[in-house]
Amino acid sequence: MVVVLMDSDPWMQMQLPWLTPDIYTFILLVFGNAYWVMHFSFTNMRLMNIEENRKLLGFGFPLKRLAKYLTIIGFCHPVNIIYNLTWLVFLLIQVRSAYQAFVAIAAVALNYVLIYSIKHRFIRVVEKRFIAVVVGFLFLVFGLFQLVSLFASNSRRIFAELIPQVETVNAFLSWLPGGMLIQTVTKDYGWLNASIIFFFAVILIGLTVIDHLNKTKEGLLNPGLKKAEEESSTLWVLLRKVMGRNAGKYYFYVMKHPYNRLQVLTLTVIPIVYVPLLLNVEFEMAKTILIPTILAGIPVALLAMGMANMYGYENREFLLHLQFPVNLEKQLKERFLGVILLPLLVFYLITVFELLVIPEIGSPVQIFVANTFFFLMFMLLFVWSSYFQYQKATYSSFSYKHPIIPQKVTFAISFLIFSMGYLVFVPLNGLEWYRLTIMSTVIVIMAIYLWRHMEVLVNLFKNRVLMRLWSEL
Amino acid sequence: MERAVEIKNLDKSYEETPVLKNLNLNIPKGTVFGLIGPNGAGKSTLIGILTGLLSFESGEISIHGMKLDTKNELEIKKITASVLQPPLLFEQFSSLEFIEYVCEIYEVEKEGLIEKAYSLMDYFDIKDFAKIKVNKLSSGSRKKLAFVTSVLVEPKLLLLDEPFEAVDVISIDRMKTVIRKLKAKGVTIIVTSHILEVVENLCDDIAILHKGSIKAYLDSVSRKELQKDSSLHEIFEKYVEVERKEEIVDWL
Repeated sequence: MVVVLMDSDPWMQMQLPWLTPDIYTFILLVFGNAYWVMHFSFTNMRLMNIEENRKLLGFGFPLKRLAKYLTIIGFCHPVNIIYNLTWLVFLLIQVRSAYQAFVAIAAVALNYVLIYSIKHRFIRVVEKRFIAVVVGFLFLVFGLFQLVSLFASNSRRIFAELIPQVETVNAFLSWLPGGMLIQTVTKDYGWLNASIIFFFAVILIGLTVIDHLNKTKEGLLNPGLKKAEEESSTLWVLLRKVMGRNAGKYYFYVMKHPYNRLQVLTLTVIPIVYVPLLLNVEFEMAKTILIPTILAGIPVALLAMGMANMYGYENREFLLHLQFPVNLEKQLKERFLGVILLPLLVFYLITVFELLVIPEIGSPVQIFVANTFFFLMFMLLFVWSSYFQYQKATYSSFSYKHPIIPQKVTFAISFLIFSMGYLVFVPLNGLEWYRLTIMSTVIVIMAIYLWRHMEVLVNLFKNRVLMRLWSEL
Repeated sequence: MERAVEIKNLDKSYEETPVLKNLNLNIPKGTVFGLIGPNGAGKSTLIGILTGLLSFESGEISIHGMKLDTKNELEIKKITASVLQPPLLFEQFSSLEFIEYVCEIYEVEKEGLIEKAYSLMDYFDIKDFAKIKVNKLSSGSRKKLAFVTSVLVEPKLLLLDEPFEAVDVISIDRMKTVIRKLKAKGVTIIVTSHILEVVENLCDDIAILHKGSIKAYLDSVSRKELQKDSSLHEIFEKYVEVERKEEIVDWL
């Protein structure tokens, strides 16, 4: 906004002498295109809720009218509205002639309906090739991070090489979607051209909306069919062998959940990208706080997947486990320990990695105690969440939009991981031993208490979860 | 006659709402027992208590002479199987994996188990779904799978909560055949259902549950006597004091 509004201000020109008209255009175009990518990624279609709303057809609601209403309500999702309003504000403050305003409004509307339509089709592709799309997306993110790091470490050289070629780069960027939107308000094309562009934009909007309306009708009449194909579950056979019947089954459910598969992929990519970046940063504090926090956050995130909603995966079918002639405490204990197993393994691998590869972040005792403390603290949070924040997890391909961990728990985790990181990993020099003693004491007390009072899991289950499972349909 | 289930002065409430009130019931061993009642009478709650899924405030329950408490809980669970409404199945497993899992827990003899499972699945026309994930099955097939599994664990007491719901007529007949065979082997079967014709035809003794207590207990002798003049449907209507409400819909 500052760049857009104040580029011709003499004070600004004095403060930012490098902000030549070309660089100014370059910044606008980068912003416009990046914003378009965000707009595309975050355009939300959930309000259509076709599976639920199609029930209205059974009550005689006319198909055409229902499709019309769903299309309208789908377009009116608040997130989408915010993106479009931002586009309008961003473009209209740059308008120099009245005709540009009309074209800009039509272009924003056309851009939105096209994004909506593309996403409608894209979602079907995602449903069919979920993993391929997710891996592709993560590689894109990975590439972006690498690009940013390259830019950050060689910014002077890149600027020196870029400035002479900025015109060519701008020409390219201006024909990308975000750039084309910006062109509607930066080019002078006269009333006649504006009328023609406006006319065709309106026709295209109309055609796209009609196409979308037809797709909605089709979706309402043809719900996703459940394919009854034979499925072999080697994963279940493996987990059963490694972890036993009870914990193995639970872990099988955790790993079958698409949201968790996405989480695991993300957890693998994030440290691969961030840790090498942070290791090259000259600012020492980044190494000693951020690296251990990110690494300690990995087993915590794995633990969250399994433990933050322990009954959400099985819901009502857990009642069958209660009917089995197996002690409930034994069943819960097995699950509890089973859930801890993998994160603990990862936790030890990370601790060993830290000790071997980045010893500068602390002594072995410090790293070990801090990591254990970090892990146990979050385990407590997750046990609480499992019993007090129970919610049924769904297994649809899109369940990454309906996470199994309640959102308030996710927010709490994200906030606490970094707060805890500062608490646990910030160098205290002479006071370090006090902190180590406190953390070690808390670890020992917690471990002994949990080991001796496993029945607390049973009591919590009976008091907090059982009736919800019984009455859940 | 020996009793499979003895219930004395049973009380159960959901928060402040009483669901079962001072309920007394004795079910003889080796019989098919029908529990009927209108919606909300407390049938599923009673089955839930007998399966050990629900606690109760007061009263006493004995199953096969063992008092239902924490001490005997596991022993009772070993001899009890159930099909609840809706049936409880492992959604992410295939039908056969589910059967194998449950039978292993109940320590059913492994030898010949798969053959038995396939033969029962074949009998109920779900053999083709043996390797299909449970969550892909229709509601009728799910009910049949739950029934087949409960039979395979060889229980002494089988609790069936609305087992015929969503099941086709042919499969209902086959379920009845299996239930009769189990009875012949000495298994006690408790069935709740809204299909009175099936209950009438299948069960030895029938109890009518209404507003949380047993309104009538019809053993084979009293049933013969009562059913001379009226059908089970009429007896049911009499005991649950059906209010005639036809005038409400006169406008139709």
